[in-house]
Amino acid sequence: MNEMINLNPVLLIVVPLGLAFLTPLLGLISKKIAKWLPVVGLLFNLIVALAILPHVLKQPIIVKIAGFAPPFGINLVAGPVGMLLATLIALTGLLVAIYALKYINEGAEQKYHILFLLLLTGATGVVLTGDIFNLFVFFEILCISSYALVAYLGNRAGIESAVKYLIQGSIGSSLLLIGIGLLYGQFGTLNMADLAKQIVSSSDPSVFVPMVLMITGLGIEAAIFPLNAWLPDAHSSAPSSVSAILSGIAIEVGLYAMVRVLFTICHVSNFFMFFLFLGVLTVLVGEMSAFSQKNIKRMLAYSSIGQIGLILFAFSISTHFGVTGGLFQMISHTLGKALLFLSAGYMIYRTGSMEISSFEGIGKKMPLTALFFTIGTLSIIGLPPFVGFSSKFLIIKAALAKGELLYTILMGIVLLGTVIEGTYFFRVIQTIYFKGKDVATERNDSPIVCLISMSIFAVLIIVIGVYPHLVMKILNPAASELFNSIQYIRSVLG
Amino acid sequence: MRKIIGIILLIIIAWGIITSLQEMPFGTSRAKVADHYINKGREETGAANIVTSVVVGYRSLDTLGEVTVLFLAAIGLGAVLATIKRKEDRDTEKASLILSTGCRFLFPPILLFGAYIFIHGHLTPGGGFQGGAIIASAFVLMYLGCHEEKKINETGSIISESLGGLVFVVIGLIGLTIGTRYFLNNFLPKGEFNTLLSAGIIPIIYIAIGFKVGAELSKIIDLLMEES
Repeated sequence: MNEMINLNPVLLIVVPLGLAFLTPLLGLISKKIAKWLPVVGLLFNLIVALAILPHVLKQPIIVKIAGFAPPFGINLVAGPVGMLLATLIALTGLLVAIYALKYINEGAEQKYHILFLLLLTGATGVVLTGDIFNLFVFFEILCISSYALVAYLGNRAGIESAVKYLIQGSIGSSLLLIGIGLLYGQFGTLNMADLAKQIVSSSDPSVFVPMVLMITGLGIEAAIFPLNAWLPDAHSSAPSSVSAILSGIAIEVGLYAMVRVLFTICHVSNFFMFFLFLGVLTVLVGEMSAFSQKNIKRMLAYSSIGQIGLILFAFSISTHFGVTGGLFQMISHTLGKALLFLSAGYMIYRTGSMEISSFEGIGKKMPLTALFFTIGTLSIIGLPPFVGFSSKFLIIKAALAKGELLYTILMGIVLLGTVIEGTYFFRVIQTIYFKGKDVATERNDSPIVCLISMSIFAVLIIVIGVYPHLVMKILNPAASELFNSIQYIRSVLG
Repeated sequence: MRKIIGIILLIIIAWGIITSLQEMPFGTSRAKVADHYINKGREETGAANIVTSVVVGYRSLDTLGEVTVLFLAAIGLGAVLATIKRKEDRDTEKASLILSTGCRFLFPPILLFGAYIFIHGHLTPGGGFQGGAIIASAFVLMYLGCHEEKKINETGSIISESLGGLVFVVIGLIGLTIGTRYFLNNFLPKGEFNTLLSAGIIPIIYIAIGFKVGAELSKIIDLLMEES
């Protein structure tokens, strides 16, 4: 057991935080060090997370901060869900940080790297914490760094969308805080397990109101329809490396927090029909808006809304299968969408335009980048042998296993969304490879560092797609953790 | 029409919050966590100020997060303002004699008062955040009164904000490696209650926070003053 003490999950939060504090100090010595610190910090996180992950599958690790037993102190709950998402965050963050080594070459670079590292630290904190107010604090870290990063390029579109995001995000945070305050006032505790133990029914208005406030607040960050107005602007005007993190990590962490409130704290059982419809509606709105976009980044941003809708739909099926499918879809969306934004980033950089029509013939000019983009689209659409297929297949299976006509019909509508998704993505692929005059163009692919980072994403998409049981071993206990709140309470409070 | 819908929505929200508020037990001892802090706080953390025992003792991870939020605000503002072109110098009026003399006179006592507040955070009301804010107010006064000659030392501010954060993190990590092996564990002796050298790591953390908050708020003021 000695090694478990050495690899305390709190290190996943504290070490990147310390590196972020260290960055300005190192900046006084050398300007070039800053961009390596996110790589170092996230590599550390990835290694530690992978080392801890096998241990938590049997039993979650409860970390008592400062040694105070819950509910009096703050505690981290490194269970299967938390560690799965923390690993995903570290992995995606590391690859995007490698990409950014080359991609970020203007503006206040040192500040970019600090904000980037802190964004991922905040996300890790949210998924690991077992305290609802601590969740709010890390959520704020995540949100505030995203606001600043959206405005990083300093152009008009960036500032405007950052202000929009800031206003809506702050309203969301305030609602979340009011909800937490009301729960604390009634139950006198902030520990999630202790709250879950004391909350008997979520239909009681005194619990229902805080829950609605919290869900609305978190729903803004998760971009659930109709709270998604900020997302297309923010994701499309940020630098591509930031868009990859915002789409791949930030909104999913928002959704995770929502699911945690619904499943673990409030034991909701009677409102899932509402979220089921909301999920379907989000899929349709997202995919149909994406269909009509001519700007590649806006298209990808709307597609993220559609994907979030699909994940919400999967969780709302509220069976073990459904939750497993939702978590799997989270993984496949993160990998796929990050790859798409990263490859689109250099396609935009080389053509100087975000219009899809300007990508004509880019398949010959940047063959590898275009190939990675294609792999990303095929995975997001859900074609075998990519990871998107396995996760969507699991969701369909879960919906059909429910054996009710309504679920089958709703699944049909979701599949219609997938068809729309396929249509617009194939349109882009057609433009990349088959349109434009056949003039011999010079090959000018992305820099090698960026290609390496994209290729790792592509390899992961294919490997997990071919061998889904690699992640199923983690997904099954993770789904049980979310589904079985009594076990969660017992493991924290003893 | 929009106004009416808005008012109806507000009434619904207000009704909901009121229903929820009515469930709250005010003035009773049903809040078990709060009772624990009041009754056991002194013994468990050694701080005379119960608020401090909660902020830097029981909920120290939140405080680390809050420090980070402020750090982010300063960094984010810097990142955004770095891209915007500086405007031409505006017509500025020179500060009056009273203000420019007053600021020279008051600057050191305000700094001293701020330092007093954060050093005594575990004994008297106040702490690192409050002390840091007071220190930053001294810099506001300096910028108003004698902006022409004086500016904050950028290297100094970077060093104090970075070191402040690092001290917090490193103390936490030391707690993880020695004693009971908990992050931010209070590994120092608690000392004699209600004296300056008591409560173990709490005063050290509060001093670090004081430096950090002071440097960050001053930097935010500096950035905004430069831009406007």
